[in-house]
Amino acid sequence: MASRLRPRLLLALSLLLAACAPAPGASESSATASPSSPSATPEAATSYPLTLTDDAGREVTIAADPERIASLAPSNTEIACALGSCDQLVGVTDYDDYPPEVADVEKVVVFAQVDVEKVVAAEPDLVLAAGNELTPTAVIDQLSDLGMTVVVLYPESLDEVYANVELLGVALDEQAAATELVDGMRARVQAAEEAVAGAERPRTFYEVSIFEGTIYTAGEGSFIASLIETAGGEPITGGALSTSIALEDLVAADPELILLGDAAYDPTVTAESVAARPGWGEMTAVRDGRIQPMLEDPLITRPGPRIVDGLEALARAIQPDRFD
Amino acid sequence: MRAAAAPSVTTRPLIGGPTLTRAALVLGGGTLLLGVVVVVAVAMGSVGVGLGDTAAILGRRLLGLPLTESWAPSAETIIFELRLPRVLTAMLVGGGLALAGTVFQALLRNPLADPYVIGTAAGASLGAVLGIVAPLLLPGLAIGAASAWLGLGIVQLLAFVGGLGTVLLVYAVARGTGGTPVVTLLLVGYAISSILAAGIALLMFASGRALGAIFGWLMGSLTGASWVDLAFAAPLLALSFIFLLARWRRLNVLLLGDAQASHLGVEVEREKLGLTMLATLATSAAVAISGTIGFVGLVVPHLLRLVIGPDHRLLLPASLLFGAALLVVADLGARLAGGIPVGIITALIGAPFFIWLLRRSRAIRPVPSP
Repeated sequence: MASRLRPRLLLALSLLLAACAPAPGASESSATASPSSPSATPEAATSYPLTLTDDAGREVTIAADPERIASLAPSNTEIACALGSCDQLVGVTDYDDYPPEVADVEKVVVFAQVDVEKVVAAEPDLVLAAGNELTPTAVIDQLSDLGMTVVVLYPESLDEVYANVELLGVALDEQAAATELVDGMRARVQAAEEAVAGAERPRTFYEVSIFEGTIYTAGEGSFIASLIETAGGEPITGGALSTSIALEDLVAADPELILLGDAAYDPTVTAESVAARPGWGEMTAVRDGRIQPMLEDPLITRPGPRIVDGLEALARAIQPDRFD
Repeated sequence: MRAAAAPSVTTRPLIGGPTLTRAALVLGGGTLLLGVVVVVAVAMGSVGVGLGDTAAILGRRLLGLPLTESWAPSAETIIFELRLPRVLTAMLVGGGLALAGTVFQALLRNPLADPYVIGTAAGASLGAVLGIVAPLLLPGLAIGAASAWLGLGIVQLLAFVGGLGTVLLVYAVARGTGGTPVVTLLLVGYAISSILAAGIALLMFASGRALGAIFGWLMGSLTGASWVDLAFAAPLLALSFIFLLARWRRLNVLLLGDAQASHLGVEVEREKLGLTMLATLATSAAVAISGTIGFVGLVVPHLLRLVIGPDHRLLLPASLLFGAALLVVADLGARLAGGIPVGIITALIGAPFFIWLLRRSRAIRPVPSP
């Protein structure tokens, strides 16, 4: 039972994390920080107290340079560590697997449930939550009511990932590291864009999961859909909220390439098993044999610094000729 | 019943009612049990706080004892802001559901009646699900402001209104010309619940990312318990407790059937409406702050009836005490098991015990016998 439950939870998580529509209020405005001292420039040291607006549209004031950070999502952990603040982490989730040194940090989120007692006991001076109900709104409210400084990060595009890195750079007084990280990410994204530029864009279907006949994919306007576009594909999307697509709509959309994100968690999902599904045989991708497991799904669905690795993996899968 | 007309029989006043010692044993034992489980539940959790520190924190915050802080500030937050309100919420919700269940089982003369049976669950769930989904679908909604004014979450507010409103609707629809037959009430409750359930399913289908939050609420959970929620629900629950406990005699008479009760001078229709509304008030207030926790309201009344008999003079306060104790224990189990929904625990520990008791007891009396 547990072995069946766990991949499904992972799927549900990645589905929640990446395959959904833009969060209202967060989509149009990526997070912004305005240091309380008007003289502060982007490259300067942060002056505290610092007031910023997070991805949930909340105004948060950080009193002093945070020394103890609790991260409630793996993507937040990865950003904090990439900025050199890994040793300040006092709480992470049980899904955290990168970088390896976070393995020893206290797990304050277990099976996608925030253990509020453990968060409080870790005595963090900054809590990094995730948006879109990944960290339930009720928990964010509860932690704030207890007087904690909670910043919600929920990037839904590459630009918003950059904005989140820069926001944390200001919040953690690691602005130089943030600038360097974002510059590096931008350069690699640009290189991938140049590599696929001008190529024929295959209609690409990304399977997030399939459960009892319901096919879950990238929702309309979702992060995954935008990544597929950047990687040189034409995404076939499902409903913005439900993130599911009916089989007949999928057949009508006729994908030229099928990418199997769920193959990263479920070994029974293979090119052969997909080709053998009733009704799938007529799709161009199946006839041409362009069905590919995406074992990089954890990178594609985790909006941290390594999303660039995920993007590059997508680009190689979608435009293999450009990466010989 | 004739005994009631003979005042000389004072020790057994009504339908084989409780003797003083039996009442003292049941209610005293229940109070003691509740006290013990509350202390244990506050002292235990996923983070260890020493028993001494726990007692000292409570002594300082509740009794104002001049104790010096020898504990971490986080320990005080955990005990006083997280565990204590949560345990008290479990206590009130468990007591409220068991009491309401007892009332509904007697009122509807139906062994499968629980506090949710005539629409409270469906109505409250639809309200809560709307409260969870609406901010995602329609940002910047005005209802947020109304509930913030009450200091309550929009989910709690809509759940409360939904539960109460649905029962009013069911009652209005079921009300025929010559009264409200029990069967009609149940059937109308079922029909309206079905309509609302369709709405819930539709919203769940469209909810996408909020599905986890909805699921947690429907399973029943005390995760978000706070003093604010408690301040809203506690007075409503206390009020319904007092009025329901005072009506034990009328409940006993109603067990005889509408006609009999009417002959005995009870205004049946008025009583039924009053009892329904009081029990619904308790249920809705409980559900608003905890979600639909199953099992407690259905089985605690049966358990107690098997052990102490059907007289509501003892049954009502006993269901309050033992329902409260059961949910406090179940919620402690849920917390220690990593925050799983408490409804899972109540069914998992409660149902086998119930089956054992059913098999053990010689005379199975699942229905309140007239």
